[in-house]
Amino acid sequence: MSLHASNSPAPSHVIGDAKGATQRMLLMGNQACAWAALAAGVRVVAGYPGTPSSEVVDTIAQLHRQGIAQGVHVEWSDNEKAALEVLAGASLAGARCLFTCKQMGLNVASDALMSLNYVGIKGGLVLYVADDPGPISSQTEQDTRRYASFAKVPVLDPASPEQLADMVTQAFDVSEKYGAPVIVRPTTRVCHATTFFDVPQQTHAKDPSGFERNSKWVIFPKRAYEAHAEVNERLVHISDELGESGNPIQNVASDASVSAPKLGIVFGGVSSAYACEALRILRQKAQAARRLLPPYKTMQVASPFPFPKKKAAQFLSGLSDVIVFEELDHVIEDSLLQVVGSQHLKANIHGKLDHTTQERGENSTDDCLARLAKFLGVEGLVESASAPKDAAPSAGPTAQANLESQADLKPPMRPPVLCAGCPHRGSFYAVKKALGRRTPAVWCGDIGCYTLGNAKPLDAVDTCLCMGGGITMAQGFATADPQKKALAFVGDSTFFASGMTGIANAVYNQHDITVFVLDNSTTAMTGGQPHPGTGQTLMGPKSAPIQIARVLRALGVRCITQANPLYLSQSVQAAKIALDFDGPSAVIFKAPCAQYVKREPACVVDPQRCIGCRVCITTIGCPAISMRADGTCVQIDANQCTGCGLCTDVCPHQALSTACRERGVIPFKDERSIDTASDPRVFVEDGEVR
Amino acid sequence: MKNVLIVGIGGQGNVLASRILAQVSSEKGWHVRTAETIGMAQRGGSVASHVRMGDEGEYVYAPLISRGMADVIIALEPGEGFRALPYLSQNGLMVCAQTAIPSVETTLSNKIYDGHPYLDALRWQSPHFLAIDDAKLCEQIGSRKVLNVCMLASAVAASCASVSVSGQSVSKQPFGLGDSITKDDLVHAMHARVKPQYQDLNEKAINAAFAAVRSGDTLCK
Repeated sequence: MSLHASNSPAPSHVIGDAKGATQRMLLMGNQACAWAALAAGVRVVAGYPGTPSSEVVDTIAQLHRQGIAQGVHVEWSDNEKAALEVLAGASLAGARCLFTCKQMGLNVASDALMSLNYVGIKGGLVLYVADDPGPISSQTEQDTRRYASFAKVPVLDPASPEQLADMVTQAFDVSEKYGAPVIVRPTTRVCHATTFFDVPQQTHAKDPSGFERNSKWVIFPKRAYEAHAEVNERLVHISDELGESGNPIQNVASDASVSAPKLGIVFGGVSSAYACEALRILRQKAQAARRLLPPYKTMQVASPFPFPKKKAAQFLSGLSDVIVFEELDHVIEDSLLQVVGSQHLKANIHGKLDHTTQERGENSTDDCLARLAKFLGVEGLVESASAPKDAAPSAGPTAQANLESQADLKPPMRPPVLCAGCPHRGSFYAVKKALGRRTPAVWCGDIGCYTLGNAKPLDAVDTCLCMGGGITMAQGFATADPQKKALAFVGDSTFFASGMTGIANAVYNQHDITVFVLDNSTTAMTGGQPHPGTGQTLMGPKSAPIQIARVLRALGVRCITQANPLYLSQSVQAAKIALDFDGPSAVIFKAPCAQYVKREPACVVDPQRCIGCRVCITTIGCPAISMRADGTCVQIDANQCTGCGLCTDVCPHQALSTACRERGVIPFKDERSIDTASDPRVFVEDGEVR
Repeated sequence: MKNVLIVGIGGQGNVLASRILAQVSSEKGWHVRTAETIGMAQRGGSVASHVRMGDEGEYVYAPLISRGMADVIIALEPGEGFRALPYLSQNGLMVCAQTAIPSVETTLSNKIYDGHPYLDALRWQSPHFLAIDDAKLCEQIGSRKVLNVCMLASAVAASCASVSVSGQSVSKQPFGLGDSITKDDLVHAMHARVKPQYQDLNEKAINAAFAAVRSGDTLCK
């Protein structure tokens, strides 16, 4: 389980019982978690998709389909809270359970988690909560280690996919032994890094023992007071077991050969890997320069809560200065300061609080190298390396002139964009057209690919808060700024996850908003997971898809329209009806995600008709459309174009055409598209739901 | 340690290329780590795959390559190659596909996206440089889907090739991947990572790329 096994490392890491037959596989951290949980006999797995956590459930579902994961139940739950509650029940029935989400998902599930830790569990319950320093794909840089201490739940923090797999195994054992949920908290660079593993040929879920009644499963004030004592008591034992008992996760790279070092280096999570890498580079540079690094010792904190206080006190004893590398919050740093204070130690702790390390964003080997060189007093070793690079081999006066002329060259701006063929593009543009330029409006966005509608030229997102928050925020705008139309855009998966309560609120409190449901029949941003609206389950049998129009109708929305967003005029018409309605109204724009369709023949430009007016570019901004180098007309990148045909509707000169439009065929047509022959009015006032 | 950075635009298939390299490492018994861009950035944004191979028996700690430490950069697009240039090592090899893919940003600001300034910059600023006429190569193979494998094979071929690179004199000092990985290694690993129905096409891609690089054919400048 150590961070570096030996001088000649094994090319793969074993998950589960190495005695049985194994197969070698390249796994990313999330997949390694899936295998480790299956090898530990996990019986019920539930979660809600969110980068960087989604591949755990995806992998378990795939292994279940392939018949490799025997006896497991796996599901994408409606949202994180639903998932954790499903597992709370399964765990009390004795099943080993795995919960997965991203950091913000735990906010949604926190109501269940806080009480569950007091209630306690029976079958081992591991919460796999992936944090996202940077952030790369998130709204916040919140730190799940803080949630762990807040909820008084143990948390493990892996440095690599290998440690991650071992920690998942360990977490199940600790959870079951102490009757407490345990969090494993990887970060993006551990979740999405890959290495080789030896995994079993098949895994088998452990049979649950069944539910037995016990008064402690019912939480109420008197019981909560007792339970709080049990929580505190078990944390002491868990701290001993995880941190104090010489567990090899701890203190993995101590330079024992050096006598009486005064300097200490402490790290957690993936920063451990960066710091170890940086130390190796420094040692090599020192050797090359025939210099010696000052004596130092290192410690990885693998269980940030409960913090291994005794081990830390031992480590800190005799040190004068300590530098701490961790991402997100200063969790380890705080705990070290606490130990220094309570033990009256001499060590100065340096980290985020005194600006010795980065206060936010990701760490890196480069960053650790520069800071460690300074900390160890050998800045000279790294300065030479960062000197300007020699010019190209044939560098002469011409080369120098070239380098100077290239000094202003900047890499292209390439932010993420809605894909070519994305149905959201048509939805946003149709609403813009329906509103016209004179109607002021507030465009409330939400969490999903459609947040990318904020980019030019669509420029169609004014706010983005949290899952389902757009629908309810729009109600605030409708109340406080009624001169503007209050619009909310929500994806199909987000609608089911947390949009429905907002709709009920709008109907109940009579807020005049228009909700646009961008239904692409998948959870697109996180890799295409199914949801209640698709009816597809991870266990195989298909449920009846829950129809969004029926949900809206049942919740009391009195104006519901629909359109295929790849068709502009119908979409504008559907939007206009809803926008003109007084009271909460909804439009369902339904066409499949461009990532999950069989492409139609690409769009064709007629250079005789195209006058290079750029209307197609400046209205919808499809990445497959660009100007030809001679500037006379546009060109289509056939590698990107899906043949959706939206651009043919915006071209004022009929210069663009697709095979589907020519033949009058709806592109990618299946149950995921609204038929263009359908009436845009699904239900208006006293009509009926179709 | 051999560090290979594969850069491009979401959807170009750099993940497969990195996994084939990881497979090569595994078959040679090296410790290996890769790191990919997954999530929002994949939607047409810049993506990078890092491959770190302990070819001398080293343990690999960090999944990401540090600046100035990439032995090879495989760029599936010129602008993306230019973005990655700070990662190239002092004796590194840059292999870049010539086909420029316009960014929506440039198209919207009514500019023509031109890959040539980037290619020129790469030519002058890379210690070792090879531009691949990917359009011609993919046309010859019959599919643009194999661009990733073509470029990977080109990098391997350019590394172990003792023929001219960038039309310059032969470098005696090993660079890029050196001779640590052969064409056979690549073909073997590709078979382990690619679905059976696409193996022939990908083998054709590897062969075509090797032939092009080795012959100094007009495919490569």
